Amino acid sequence: MKIAFASSSKGGLDDKVSDQFGRCPTFTIVTVENGKTVNVVAVENPGHKAVSGAGIKAVQKLIDEGVDAVVAGNFGPNAEAALYEVGIKVYVMKDLTIKEALDRILSEK
Amino acid sequence: MVKIAVTGGKGGTGKSTLAVNLAFLLAEQRDLVLADLDVEAPNDHILLSVELEGREEVRIMTPIFNLKTCIRCGVCAYACPDSAILLTKTKLPVLIPTMCSGCRACYFACPTRPKAVIEGYRVVGYTYETKVTFGNVGFVLVTGVLIEGEERTYPVTLATLRRAQRKVRDVLIVDTSAGTSNSVAASLENSDLILAVTEPTPLGIHDLEMILRLSREIGADRVWVIINRSTIAPNEPVIKIAEKYEAPIIAKVPYSKEIVESYVRGKPLVLINPASTVSKSIRDLARKVTEVI
Repeated sequence: MKIAFASSSKGGLDDKVSDQFGRCPTFTIVTVENGKTVNVVAVENPGHKAVSGAGIKAVQKLIDEGVDAVVAGNFGPNAEAALYEVGIKVYVMKDLTIKEALDRILSEK
Repeated sequence: MVKIAVTGGKGGTGKSTLAVNLAFLLAEQRDLVLADLDVEAPNDHILLSVELEGREEVRIMTPIFNLKTCIRCGVCAYACPDSAILLTKTKLPVLIPTMCSGCRACYFACPTRPKAVIEGYRVVGYTYETKVTFGNVGFVLVTGVLIEGEERTYPVTLATLRRAQRKVRDVLIVDTSAGTSNSVAASLENSDLILAVTEPTPLGIHDLEMILRLSREIGADRVWVIINRSTIAPNEPVIKIAEKYEAPIIAKVPYSKEIVESYVRGKPLVLINPASTVSKSIRDLARKVTEVI
């Protein structure tokens, strides 16, 4: 499965989970297979500098990337509705690095 | 038809109070329609103690996607200026209704025949038409109400304005919402007289300048300033702004507890307490308005 982490700066496992979903600069997308991390990539968030509809643009990016779940500190109401609509699982996590947030999700299962 | 707009920028300056009192005074001589265009918080009917009547729906277009004929090209989502359409992994469109303004761009952009975008609608608000009578003085109140949770005031404001314009034969008074949004600009358009109600406070002064700039922008030819609660602070800053925009200060309404009495009784102050200082200043204003309309 693929998990996207709203990232505070350039992304990567040592970056921090962003408080904002729609307007975070990048998403760190982690591919997990059998409980093991097999791939980590950072992609730009088209919502970062969008004039309006940032949340929806971010959701579209995640759909295009084939993401199954997403982690951020906060989600806007439109983004949350859209994520629910397309069946992407939402995790709210704050003040963690992406590695810490990933470990939490993996230890849940 | 004569159109008078009561506006002012800041919330709570007394726009609605002035509008209902002015409506009552002008209705003594003229055939009048009062339109409450503050669709997020309409309250003229509360000030007048009337129950809203004659409900009509305000609808906006909402796309319905026919997934049988959809060729999954994604054009509707790219055409959408509101980012209200998502494409799933298999490129099927999904609407996020709260983002949609009903502009029909998706409908026009859809390249398949028959179109895979079908024109549906949803109700975003209501308009009402209520008869208001005090003794032998009466007028029609047209009210717009945005449904709670809806974000777009513009279609409801416009529908309310149109209903009022269909109804009016002589004088139309529009009571706008606070601020200088598109909805306020649309409410002010084609006014013969704009009454900008403000108060001598920093916010009142700031927002007055905004509304005077907007009035200038839309080419209003007659804008008058009314200083409400004029006795609570020095009026010089208001006068300075008004002079800058060449808008005469036509009335000063003193701060008074009499107005609370009118709130409590749910009747216009000019009716229940015609001798009060506030009533006198509003009557004086009504006379000046009558002279120009």
